[in-house]
Amino acid sequence: MRKITTAIVLVLAVMLAFTFIACGKKAQPTIKIGINAPITGDIPKVGEGTRFAAQMWLEQIQQQGGLQVGDTLYPVQLVIEDNESKAESAVKANTKMITEDEVLIIIGPQASKQAVPAGGVANDYQTPMISPWSTNPDTTEGRPFVFRGCFLDPFQGPVVAKFVDEEFGFTKAAVLYDVASDYPKGLAEFFRSAWEELHGPGSVVAYESFTTRDADFSSQLTKIRNSGAEFLFTPQYYNEVALIVKQARELGFDNPIVGSDSWGSAETVALCGESCYGQFFSTHYAAAGAVGETKAFIDRYAEKYGYVPDDVAALTWDSIRLAQQAILATGGLTGDIKKDRQAVRDQLARISDFEGITGNMTFTEEGDPIKCAVIVRISEAGEFEFYRQVCP
Amino acid sequence: MRLAALWGWVWRSAAAVPPLGWLIGAFCAAVLELLIGYELAIMLYLPKVPPLFGATLLFQNPLLFPATLLFDLLVYILPVCAVAFGTQRLTDRAAAFLEHRPTWLAALMHLVLMYAILHVWTEASAYRLQVSKLVMIAVMLTLSLNVINGYMGEFSCSHPGFMALGAYAASVFTLVLFTQDRLFGPALLPAALGPFCYPLALFIGGMTAALGALVVAIPSFRTRGDYLAIISLAFMFIVKSAIENIEPVGGPRGMGGQPNWSTLPVVFTAMALCIWIINNFVRSTLGKALNAVRDNETAADAMTINTRRTKMVAFMFGAFWAGVAGGLYAHEVRHVTPGGFGIQMLAEQLAMVYFGGLNSVVGSVVGAVSISMVSEVLKPLGLYKWLVIPLILILVMIFRPTGLIAFRDFDIKRILAPRKAALKRRE
Repeated sequence: MRKITTAIVLVLAVMLAFTFIACGKKAQPTIKIGINAPITGDIPKVGEGTRFAAQMWLEQIQQQGGLQVGDTLYPVQLVIEDNESKAESAVKANTKMITEDEVLIIIGPQASKQAVPAGGVANDYQTPMISPWSTNPDTTEGRPFVFRGCFLDPFQGPVVAKFVDEEFGFTKAAVLYDVASDYPKGLAEFFRSAWEELHGPGSVVAYESFTTRDADFSSQLTKIRNSGAEFLFTPQYYNEVALIVKQARELGFDNPIVGSDSWGSAETVALCGESCYGQFFSTHYAAAGAVGETKAFIDRYAEKYGYVPDDVAALTWDSIRLAQQAILATGGLTGDIKKDRQAVRDQLARISDFEGITGNMTFTEEGDPIKCAVIVRISEAGEFEFYRQVCP
Repeated sequence: MRLAALWGWVWRSAAAVPPLGWLIGAFCAAVLELLIGYELAIMLYLPKVPPLFGATLLFQNPLLFPATLLFDLLVYILPVCAVAFGTQRLTDRAAAFLEHRPTWLAALMHLVLMYAILHVWTEASAYRLQVSKLVMIAVMLTLSLNVINGYMGEFSCSHPGFMALGAYAASVFTLVLFTQDRLFGPALLPAALGPFCYPLALFIGGMTAALGALVVAIPSFRTRGDYLAIISLAFMFIVKSAIENIEPVGGPRGMGGQPNWSTLPVVFTAMALCIWIINNFVRSTLGKALNAVRDNETAADAMTINTRRTKMVAFMFGAFWAGVAGGLYAHEVRHVTPGGFGIQMLAEQLAMVYFGGLNSVVGSVVGAVSISMVSEVLKPLGLYKWLVIPLILILVMIFRPTGLIAFRDFDIKRILAPRKAALKRRE
């Protein structure tokens, strides 16, 4: 028993000694940037891209010794919180970062189902937040403190319609989309209205839907083939894209198949193989054939983490650089976190012609960027090749 | 030997303090923290008052952990013990006095004190407040699921579906009547009336869920066991797909903009009511009948129990509270999407029920609180968190197959009784 008592006393003494380790370190004013990312849950790859891009940015800043705001050099710290790809966790993470960690600005969450509720929290606490990837209009609508780094579906739909019209001169379109998923459904609707505006009502000859995790599309594709459509637009994710394209070819539908930014995953080509070569989709940026800043980013990322960054990483990079520019533009921080947040938000809203790696950006009144989309062609080598830029 | 003696002494003195004493102690600690917590934290070189007893710092910043332990000792453990032991005579006499008054009066007093503690404690941090509210909602969900999976002994998988029904029904009610909204247009009633009608919204949410339960119950109670699990799982997907296809409530995009009416008093009251009513339900004749049906349906039938009706009532009862919890959840997170009420949520709720203990009100509370806290504390571990939590579950299942605290409900009278008498009785 005595031994146990001695052990307990020893452990307590060591722990007491530990409390003094932190002594003497005077709290230095730091710029804290919150990252709200889905590290675990349904889309861990997205979380990983977010984290890697943010850490790469931090390293770059640390090499410079910190951020020079006004005439003070501030060290920068990232606060990375996992939102588990759940709405309530994203809300909790935002509350924690804002009230406990006292971050200046938040980057994330990525998916709309977390970004919409989390944006509400950020706006309530008057903390600027940039969601790099969320395309739901509700994320920023009526929330002066919430911004986003990507273009919206109401913009992407017409871009695809315009591109097909100019490139091929087709008049009859077919659409196949997932009715149970918010992103494809919205995009399909925006595309249909844009196409019908160009070619008159009835020019979308087939408008077919399915439900998430369906794997057999033969009935829809047969209808599309028989409708006489000249091309198929399918704003789906990579796993479904592979199935749809392959099944369409098997059923004898040989016309072009066009997609949206959800195609932009390395998995698309891996799963789809040669059937997808030569197809087009619209997206935020193209890795192959990139030049300048974009290429520098891709090379550094690929060298550091071993794979070519997808659009989430690129958009996160742009969002965090937007934050950096806004912080620099304040011309000096007061140390009062509330005032500083307000100042950063005002500077963010004023940003125009920001040169990002996913295109130049100017924020609208609502906090949505005006930027150009990129049309990518899947090359014969299976690479995403820059084809052309389409601007609104 | 001396340590064992000390331990025994602490244990005996702790057993002599009635809950009233502990609650007063906790209240004093909460006030103390509010008054000097920040100064003390700075003295201990902590950046701020640790929000959840420093548990979140354990993996985020382990170097600070000893300091938070010291903080907890100074602010929580010592004051609570000092006040609880110091006022032991007084509180014991108060408990003896309350023993001869109606039980509801004593219980209400304790609940008010509990609320006061929570109120003061969550004053210091918005994060603490939000975590507390979500934990209380999780308690309601776990408890209501335990009525079906524990007391009734069926394996129901439709709880997220019931919760979704409740969340959407309550949200539609408040959005249509009290807020200017993109989906439903201008408010029909002045917003000032809203908070008073909020209980009605929650009730409607609960009733909608109960109605949904009736829809599952009618076909599925002709079967037992695995079949109910499959039918209820199907029901969860039906609810999800149905909401995804109903455009007026936002479809897959979800519905947002609910007013923030899930305040601490509302959530606390709802949870207290839920625990009280379910505790009474499972101790009533109906609850005992439910256990009889679970153990042997034929025998129960022979003992003149209307087995079909009993099961239906219990199923709808459980669903009702899930719906209420859903309504609270929708007004706390303030945006709901059908995709959120899926398998992941189901897995979490089942984990809470089976971890805490089957057929147990106490276990449900313990399960919900501990799983929520563990998952909050382990967050900095990232993906490894999903190795640790399942491992804990497996260990619990091996060493305590029915969960941590199974087969136990609250006996309010005994809990609140004065300790002197209890000690004497034991002797």
